[in-house]
Amino acid sequence: MSGNNVVLGRGSGSRVGAGGTPLAQKRLNTSKNVLLKVVILGNGGVGKSCLMNRFVSNHFDQHSFHTIGVEFLNKDLEINGETYTLQIWDTAGQERFKSLRTPFYRGSDVCLITYAVNDQKSFKDVSMWCKEFLTYADVKEGSTFPFILVGNKADVSEEGRQVTQEEARTWCKENGNPPFIETSAKDAINVELAFQMAVDRWIKFEEKMDRHYESEVVDLRSVKPPQRASCCMNGQSSRTEE
Amino acid sequence: MPKGYVVNIPRSRRVSRSRSNQLSKAADTLETMEESGEQGTELVSHHGVILKSSPKSYDCSGTLSLMLYGRNKYIEWKAAEVNVDSDTQDHEWAVVSTGRSSRHRSNSECARAEPLRLNTVNLKSFRVSRHRHGQHLTFAQRGESRSFTTFIFHQGNADVFVKSLLGQLKAYRSRRDRNLYHLEEEDSQETQELRRSFAELNLFPETAPYGVWNFIGQFRQRPYEATMGAFCKITDALLYKPVENDDNSVAELLNHSLMEEDTVIANVSGEEYEVIESKATPILPSRPLVTRGSPLSVERWAQATAADGRVTDSAAIKKIVFHGGVNPSLRYEVWKYLLGYYPWNSTYAERMSLRKSKVEEYFQMKQQWRSMTPGQEERFSDFRDRKSLIDKDVKRTDRVLPFYAGDDNRNVELLNDILMTYVMYNFDLGYVQGMSDLLSPLLQLMSNEADAFWCFVGFMDRTCTNFDMDQAGMKLQLQQLHTLLSIIDPQFTRYLDEHESGNMFFCFRWLLVLFKREFSQEDIMRLWEVFWSDLPCPNFHLLFCAAILDTEKENLYANNCGFTEILKHVNDLSLRIDLESTLSKAEGLYLQLMNIESDLPDAVRTIIGLEPLHPEEGDSESDSIGEDDGDCSNHTEHDSSIETVSLGALSGEVAYDRGINLQYM
Repeated sequence: MSGNNVVLGRGSGSRVGAGGTPLAQKRLNTSKNVLLKVVILGNGGVGKSCLMNRFVSNHFDQHSFHTIGVEFLNKDLEINGETYTLQIWDTAGQERFKSLRTPFYRGSDVCLITYAVNDQKSFKDVSMWCKEFLTYADVKEGSTFPFILVGNKADVSEEGRQVTQEEARTWCKENGNPPFIETSAKDAINVELAFQMAVDRWIKFEEKMDRHYESEVVDLRSVKPPQRASCCMNGQSSRTEE
Repeated sequence: MPKGYVVNIPRSRRVSRSRSNQLSKAADTLETMEESGEQGTELVSHHGVILKSSPKSYDCSGTLSLMLYGRNKYIEWKAAEVNVDSDTQDHEWAVVSTGRSSRHRSNSECARAEPLRLNTVNLKSFRVSRHRHGQHLTFAQRGESRSFTTFIFHQGNADVFVKSLLGQLKAYRSRRDRNLYHLEEEDSQETQELRRSFAELNLFPETAPYGVWNFIGQFRQRPYEATMGAFCKITDALLYKPVENDDNSVAELLNHSLMEEDTVIANVSGEEYEVIESKATPILPSRPLVTRGSPLSVERWAQATAADGRVTDSAAIKKIVFHGGVNPSLRYEVWKYLLGYYPWNSTYAERMSLRKSKVEEYFQMKQQWRSMTPGQEERFSDFRDRKSLIDKDVKRTDRVLPFYAGDDNRNVELLNDILMTYVMYNFDLGYVQGMSDLLSPLLQLMSNEADAFWCFVGFMDRTCTNFDMDQAGMKLQLQQLHTLLSIIDPQFTRYLDEHESGNMFFCFRWLLVLFKREFSQEDIMRLWEVFWSDLPCPNFHLLFCAAILDTEKENLYANNCGFTEILKHVNDLSLRIDLESTLSKAEGLYLQLMNIESDLPDAVRTIIGLEPLHPEEGDSESDSIGEDDGDCSNHTEHDSSIETVSLGALSGEVAYDRGINLQYM
């Protein structure tokens, strides 16, 4: 029985192939940073890739291509002295590519739901994105998930604006109070902040899950789904653990 | 192997039957070691784990293990046995960050700490949580005591330990909290499982109806095998309940998504298909060195054009195009033939009248969408959605090229108009992201709306299955690529399979827009005209994929790239692929295959346009599959007979895939 010993060396987590030891790789990354998988969702053209590129390389290309397939970038972010490595996943928004996009939701830690403030339809579809995410992210019925709502293109003129902050806040109130922020990838407004909020949301969520575990673990198997209203409520919340 | 890193972590993924047998054998051997008593067997161990004590006392570092004593497994923690000064001596395994070491008891004190032992039978669950300073692993005991034990992994690698635990303990991940794992109650587990109904046993994952039909279909035709198959799954479910982890399950879900629905039909019909690799893989001869030719010249083109304008020797012309492309100054002309806008044997006069009527037809269709009133649009959401998407996408297509650069660029508007007109030409297909990429070089070359449109129609006729509603065309190509690769390079194919990349998803962008995003405009024009020559075989573009991968594989090996890294590596190849050498290599691959043509499995033969050697085996299914190519395709005839071949072996899983696809597409 020599095979099963686990020994870890200093800083040894680097360059572990995701395939060989995916779980290990996921959290260890190149240093001891916490690796968080962040998914950006939203209608085509709201600026998902632009948000990602602004955040990762502080670069904005007005005429960048629309995304085909799936892309991701890594970026370190420091919050309260702790460095997090965000692995940001960006996908094509068209309905047609849904079946090839949704597998990547699995294992996400945070989800940025985005719309463009000058595109009413993209705002209307926010709930749809929430739902699609929850359906495929392996976050089961009745549970919560650290979403944040991002209204991009906040640089547009007042005449061009189709979604007010008020509307967005109302949506948040009715959907589990995810944090909300307006950004402009073009003018570099609030982009880093949005990702910080996302991580912050994740930290709080994680702490809550932790407390929840320690306080309710004894009854977990019979526990009813939390009764909180939330954007993460997935409709049919009849299933309980097991 | 990364330096100083872990050895042999048991993989906690969905296991095959043989795997669970191995596992049970391993368990047997362990039980015979029972007599060892206090000695115990170390199953998993992890150094530098801190036992979290009550807030007032100090934490100390030690080794956390899973031990086997007798028949029972215990989580055991022992304080590190070290000298006082060991903080530095132990640097190879430095776990306690120096900045925090003051909070810990000195090692001499620590060594006095009692070892801790938790019988896993009494454990209810465990949870990993991530904190500012590493990860915590908390075990909860069964019963009323509500007692918890928390261990701190400063390196943030509790996951590694958990992963190993999952290989040893019967645990499953909570559906609501993915960091929480429940342990099966050892005693009652078997009875519990048996009490569950047949369907609940997960024999037919998730989507019962299809799985059940699948089973019944197989049962009718081959009752013995089907029943044994089902029993095997029961054994699996009892012996080893896999706990998914994230990257694996992304890849697995993707496999489901990428599986062709046709394979479901094939499975229900009870047929079984051999996986290509299970046959003895023929060995390819060495690759011949291929030199590229020069582009079709103005003189040669003139020479091939008869006095009345007919192109007399289209076969010879295509051959030149395949080997060297077309002189840029001739593209405007030659592409119209290659794309089927002009027939090769048409005269000047015929082409003139053809063009006239095509131009008229184009503007007629253009008028249709332009005359849509706002009210009509209001009530026509399909149309509206397409219009809005086209509007967004043309503004994001090749805007870096001078031809499309700047605000209010007329060519961007033309791009928009042609795509909108194509929506009217083929409303069923409409507009799908990627089409604007295919149109852009055509418009740039033709500079004329109507000509560009009809060339685009010809191009779409070849590639429209890429844009199928159910993505069937893309799925098929990815499968075909895998099939080809398994002959061309079995070792690399195995590597991909072992790294969750056998679904070839990382080639998705290449195939969807035929490498448009990977090359400069000049290069893409060359590549496409080579493809349009339809030489030397159907699906040459898949050999082109294989050629790129052949160049890159050493990189992937060297970095031990897994699923995400492969995807990233391939995405990042954009604009860094050498066109001509890759074309040479792709042709070389073709010649290699043709060299052992008669040894090639039918699945491969059909992909590259050869007659299958054993056609009778494939006959019955190809009837039932149908050849629904959509409206626009007349170039997929060679595809139909191989659809069922390569990935048929995944049986019940396919039903799951189908469930997902039907539900949400």
